[in-house]
Amino acid sequence: MKLRMPEMPSATLLAALDGYNLLPAIVFLPTRRRCDQAASEAALSRRDPNDKRREARRDFMRTFVEQHPEVRGHRHWDTIIRGGVASHHAGHIPAWKLVIEKLMSAGLLDAIFATATVAAGVDFPARTVVLTGADARSASGWRPLSASELQQMTGRAGRRGRDNVGFVVAAPGIHQDPERIAQLLKVPPDPLVSQFRATYTTLLNLLDAYGSFASVREVAQRSFAYRDFSHRITQLENSRNESEEKIRTALQEAGCDIPISVVLGLERLLGARARLQEAKPQTRAEVFYRWLNEVVKPGRVVGIGRSGRRLVMVTESRDGNVRGFREDGSSASFPHERIGRVYSPVYRLKEEDIERAFDDVRARGPELVLPEPRLRDADAEETEALKILDDSIEKLLPASVDKQQCTDVIWQLHTTAEDFERASRRIEALREEVWQPFEQRARVLAIFGYLDYEQEKVTDRGRWLADLHIDRPLLVGEALENGLFNSLAPKELAGIMAALTADEDRDYGELELDDDVVTSLARFEDIGFKVSAEEWNHGLEPAPELNFSAAGAAVRWAGGTDWSEIVRETRAEEGDLFRMFSRTGEALLQIAGLRRSHPQAANMTASVAEMVLREPIR
Amino acid sequence: MAFVRGKNGKRWDKRRSHGRRVTEKPASKTDHGANERTTRVVPPSREVKRLLEGIGTPRPTPFKPDPFQLEAIAALEYEDVLVTAPTGSGKTWIAREEIRRLLDSGRRAWYTSPLKALTNSKYQEFIDEFGAAKVGILTGDRKENSDAPLIVGTTEIYRNQLFDSLRGGSEVSADLVVLDEAHYLADEERGHVWEEAIILTPPRIRLLLLSATIGNAHEFALWLEEIRGVRCGVITGPPKRPVPLRSAVMLPDRRLLPLFNESGNLNPEIVKLAADERRSDRR
Repeated sequence: MKLRMPEMPSATLLAALDGYNLLPAIVFLPTRRRCDQAASEAALSRRDPNDKRREARRDFMRTFVEQHPEVRGHRHWDTIIRGGVASHHAGHIPAWKLVIEKLMSAGLLDAIFATATVAAGVDFPARTVVLTGADARSASGWRPLSASELQQMTGRAGRRGRDNVGFVVAAPGIHQDPERIAQLLKVPPDPLVSQFRATYTTLLNLLDAYGSFASVREVAQRSFAYRDFSHRITQLENSRNESEEKIRTALQEAGCDIPISVVLGLERLLGARARLQEAKPQTRAEVFYRWLNEVVKPGRVVGIGRSGRRLVMVTESRDGNVRGFREDGSSASFPHERIGRVYSPVYRLKEEDIERAFDDVRARGPELVLPEPRLRDADAEETEALKILDDSIEKLLPASVDKQQCTDVIWQLHTTAEDFERASRRIEALREEVWQPFEQRARVLAIFGYLDYEQEKVTDRGRWLADLHIDRPLLVGEALENGLFNSLAPKELAGIMAALTADEDRDYGELELDDDVVTSLARFEDIGFKVSAEEWNHGLEPAPELNFSAAGAAVRWAGGTDWSEIVRETRAEEGDLFRMFSRTGEALLQIAGLRRSHPQAANMTASVAEMVLREPIR
Repeated sequence: MAFVRGKNGKRWDKRRSHGRRVTEKPASKTDHGANERTTRVVPPSREVKRLLEGIGTPRPTPFKPDPFQLEAIAALEYEDVLVTAPTGSGKTWIAREEIRRLLDSGRRAWYTSPLKALTNSKYQEFIDEFGAAKVGILTGDRKENSDAPLIVGTTEIYRNQLFDSLRGGSEVSADLVVLDEAHYLADEERGHVWEEAIILTPPRIRLLLLSATIGNAHEFALWLEEIRGVRCGVITGPPKRPVPLRSAVMLPDRRLLPLFNESGNLNPEIVKLAADERRSDRR
């Protein structure tokens, strides 16, 4: 008997559960589509024999429709009435999910087919929870279910006051593994792990409220994440003090009247010497690759292979790998080893500039080639540095110590001093780890004039930006400052905000965008590029890309197309559209709140928001 | 308020035996579903009987708060409280009773939840409970009765109000803040908002955190005490689930097997099936 095999037909599964009196059940399936299929299949071959319940469902839904007209004529309507089953997942609009939840708690459904997302947040328990697998589907494929996900699911089994017992049933499925489920069921709950992080919004608000970086830092150090850090810092401080004490005692016992700083200084010099020695390039290739790492960067053109005749414009260079465009516009990605030469100018990464860059390199290539370093040059530099260090070590010792005995002790204390230094560095690093992300953001904000880094003050500009509770506030702020929003038609404004707030990789249909919209999106993207370039320079992760498909749908929606039409045209799932429009509307309302600083844009966004946040989006 | 458990549960009780139904001949593709009611019932094995023992609806009993609920209410008199308990074990009851107590004495409360859908349904629930005049709602796109003594809203909006009040805007006028689904603090995307809300809530405001079961409740509470300078009690929900959970495996032939045996170990029959499967996979 196989445990891993295709899922049972949904009707068979329900009949089997029914045979054991295990209904109503929530059946967890990996994808939205599987949920919809399972519900329709079950409804087709399964007719609720209880006429009264069928009638009750019909009445219930009719009453519900009066308050939520958007569920009228839903494509799963009959599935529910006839079969007494439903599918429930994020692809449905909230009102539809609500009616299902209500039907379930009224005892009018036998089964709900749901994706795991349902398990979090919404509360509609059933007698039985059915798992069709021990894996979950994620954007990047299958991954094992986590203990807390399983807990969320089993949390739906057993209705308080209505069931004596709740059940979790592992049913056949290709990813089924009862042994693993058994294991997971016994795992104690996960600890809460802090996700504290720096954002522009938090930084601006806190700095404006407290008026100094030190106080922002102090708030960051009150985070739950920092609590762990501070415990580790205390431990490290203790071990550092111990090392210090050891050194002091050893010096005293040897009768050496020298400060502890000499011992630590020697350790530092020796450490530097060791690092330098280790890093010293040994071969020509090593020198070359190290040089490539420095000079190959976005905006530069490189030649591939020995001849270097094939050219590539670099857009990204990381961990010894390069990405970029060839002259024909196709993309290329290859390791540093394949690079033959590097040309010195750094070009802008815009389409027309890229073409010009290639022409430029073709025209005066030889004079632009960066000279490669030679092993002997690199070697000479390092040797010189080593000599300086050796001199310093010499000077440190005889200058302060005349007895041979003390010199010996200092050398013996070397490892203890090393411990001391290591702990100090670690303490410093931990302290910085919380603050650094804020500092990076502060510097970026300063470049764009939202805060004054030297004065540690939020500027007038920064004050309104602090009020903008939105994804990527800096990008939107720059768009406002550049007057982009004033020059747009209302629909385009909706499109831009949708492109910004939508999930990066979700598809909302391929609606055609007219030229004006494309132009404004391109301008928005340009601003985005400037912002991202500064962020990149300050070590901040690049932001996700704009979602043009969302823009298309939002432009149409803001233009007055009705709901069923937009669903049909985009072929997107209702729930996805709903969430995207709702988030777009919220983002627009945020801008609409900037009446004082940007009255024109605020007025316009307010009216666009109204167009976006109409029924059924509320 | 007393309510009666187990409204609509009755209909399941007498209809079914616990027997296993076996189709006379193998079900063809179109054959499952409605036709399966013509199957005969074979008596279930002893272990399946034990697995299913007691299945059904409990007799309605008048509602009586659990000791942990009362304990939480009592603790809120003099300290912040972190309640950790599984879903459906009655955390909301604690919040509702405490809010009622406050409203009755003319004080104010904020109730935050992570999802707009939850916020909307809580809003309705509180209106039904306390009357529309006493409740307001604040989400990204909804603002109603925002001066009401009880505000329901998303955690983001609450955090934003804290920012505003720190920057000299409107004061957050609440005597109690309830953070529902407080374990969202560990959410990768939005968790930092919960942390900021906790850090920035003035210590004079009582905090009630409602969380799913977590592995480090005491450490979490210690952190709250350290940063707020207010004692924080940890109330752990009932050690057992409000409704006990049993686990089973359904085999492709629709047989049901308990996942664990009586001593709580993995059912040997399942171990054997899994081993067989691994062997046949290798072949």
